[in-house]
Amino acid sequence: MSGLGRALVALGLAGFAWGLAYLAINIASDHPDDPVEIALLKLLVGWAFLYVGLFVWARRPENRMGMILTAVGLVWFLPGLVDANTALFATAGLLLSNVAVPVSFSLVAFPTGRIERRLDRAVIAGAWVWATLGTLVLALLSPARPDEPENLLAVTRSREVADAAEAAMGIAGGLLAAGLLVALALRWRASSDVQRRELAPVVATGSLAAGAFAVLVVYGALGVDDVALRAVEVVTMLCLASLAVAFLVGLVRARVVAGAAVTRLMQRLEEPLAATELRDLLAEALRDPSLQVLFPLPGRADYVGADGEPVPLPAAGGGRAVTPVDREGRRIAVIVHDAALDRAGDLVRSAAAASVLALENARLEAELRARVAEVTASRARIIAAGDEERRRLERDLHDGAQQRLVSLALRLRMARGRVDDASAAAPLLDGAMAELEAALAELRELARGIHPAVLTDRGLGPALEGLAARATVPVELEVPDAGRLPRPVEAAAYFVVSEALANVAKYSGASHARVRVERRNGHALVEVRDDGVGGADPARGSGLSGLSDRVAALQGRLAVESPVGRGTVVRAEIPCAS
Amino acid sequence: MPHRTVLIVDDHPGFRSVARMLLESDGWDVVGEADGVAAALAAARALHPDVLLVDVNLPDGDGFAVAEALRSDPAAPRVVLTSSRDDAGYAGLARGSGAQGFIPKAQLSCGAIDALIA
Repeated sequence: MSGLGRALVALGLAGFAWGLAYLAINIASDHPDDPVEIALLKLLVGWAFLYVGLFVWARRPENRMGMILTAVGLVWFLPGLVDANTALFATAGLLLSNVAVPVSFSLVAFPTGRIERRLDRAVIAGAWVWATLGTLVLALLSPARPDEPENLLAVTRSREVADAAEAAMGIAGGLLAAGLLVALALRWRASSDVQRRELAPVVATGSLAAGAFAVLVVYGALGVDDVALRAVEVVTMLCLASLAVAFLVGLVRARVVAGAAVTRLMQRLEEPLAATELRDLLAEALRDPSLQVLFPLPGRADYVGADGEPVPLPAAGGGRAVTPVDREGRRIAVIVHDAALDRAGDLVRSAAAASVLALENARLEAELRARVAEVTASRARIIAAGDEERRRLERDLHDGAQQRLVSLALRLRMARGRVDDASAAAPLLDGAMAELEAALAELRELARGIHPAVLTDRGLGPALEGLAARATVPVELEVPDAGRLPRPVEAAAYFVVSEALANVAKYSGASHARVRVERRNGHALVEVRDDGVGGADPARGSGLSGLSDRVAALQGRLAVESPVGRGTVVRAEIPCAS
Repeated sequence: MPHRTVLIVDDHPGFRSVARMLLESDGWDVVGEADGVAAALAAARALHPDVLLVDVNLPDGDGFAVAEALRSDPAAPRVVLTSSRDDAGYAGLARGSGAQGFIPKAQLSCGAIDALIA
């Protein structure tokens, strides 16, 4: 047996003897404060706290709850000293009679054993002042009653003063108990679901006990008749006894519940399941709806969820805990959960161990999703970079060659104006001007094919108007003026319409085409419909297959419907959530 | 063809000088030049030309913005847009912005401008 174990056994034996001594003092007393039935009840309550405390202390030495419960059990019998027949013991009993109150208040440290909230600390500190200074003053002012041994501390013989002091103490004690109730209520309100589940039995019985205690001290102070006082006292005792039991139940239940939850989880895991379902299963098994399952990726420092999206780990503190799951020395996942679950035995670890295979599968799936997301993003970036390059090329052409050739054309025209029509230079200049006009036209066509400036400057609507105006068949445009779309979406939509209209001109024999752009559910819908011969095969190098890749890079879809003899519809659906 | 005063708005000095030469050789007065939207609006208010010949692409905006800024002022000069780009969409945009119309740069002449204004 360890040193701690021996010490606890010794404490247990001492507490047993101490309890018997308490009972003996009561029975032997010539002025008992409590009838023997009440004394027996108090003995059981004291022992209940003592042995529950020792059990918790032995099982969870790191948790100070065991120590606090044991202390409650030991100080519990101190008030019994007032029943002693010798003045010295009885006076000591008077001084120590209330120590059990602040020690019992410390039970609000449940479940961590630490008193962290400021109101809790204030109430407990107040209880200590009340139990020490207050009790000392009361002892000084309370002469012994005729049937009691002498109070060695009393400085007055006046019963009136003693009664007033007793009433004041009673009311102060009632206020402290009320403060404790408020502290418990506030704590309950600030707790998560998981914490509440843990707190429920202790807060319920603790509130009852504190309430009963408040009534008890106030009744005592006001001198309510004995029967009512006894009744409330018994209720208080029962509440306190059930509080000790509640601690035990809380401790045991955590293990029982944990076992059942893991068993259920293992049964559920026999079915194949998706990565996101695994999170739901674990959240259900651990009864923590906020639970997250995150996966590490090779070569990356951050974690991703089942969908492959990066998720930050919670900061230290803040009520969240991170339980790592390793397999063969390798981290395969972390479970982020309510920190309160760490006190429920090895629940999280057991659940993680039960689902390690499913977690490994989910990790692979998440890794795949993350990779796909990466590839998708890089494909979109490549397209955007290509578009940017095309925009730059067009601008260079415009600012350079095009400007110079335009100037040249204007100068030639001026020169021609100064040359007599009959001059030999006139036909040469006319020829040069015609050549230049043709060159400029080709250059403009080339530049527009590279990237239409009007699309960048003015958006899809005006750019499509230009396309429609140049088309070889009448084109009806239906483009709402609903603001600009993201650049890559505008470019993809423009090139889809451009290519579709080019096909209309080349193959369809249509007499009419209609272009419709619509924004619906965060998507840009682009439709080009003609009344031509149909029968177009998008798979056969119509230029649309390249556009299909461009649209797919934006996670959109391009569809071509072209039944023979019934026209062609090209439809693109491009998400524009970026 | 009536005599008119013109302000040329373009960020390419080469085009401004050749356009000035061309319009002046036809007998019009080029009263000033500007290289951007803001400069064009300031010069238009100071010089009161009959016509603003405005390039579509300017460093601080575009020619349509110049036309839009002036459209509510009945005393403002008429705006004619031009560009070496010849997009079929420009004519519609020009009319929509309150300008008189659009002339491709290579076809610039006093007659072409006058045809839009008349």
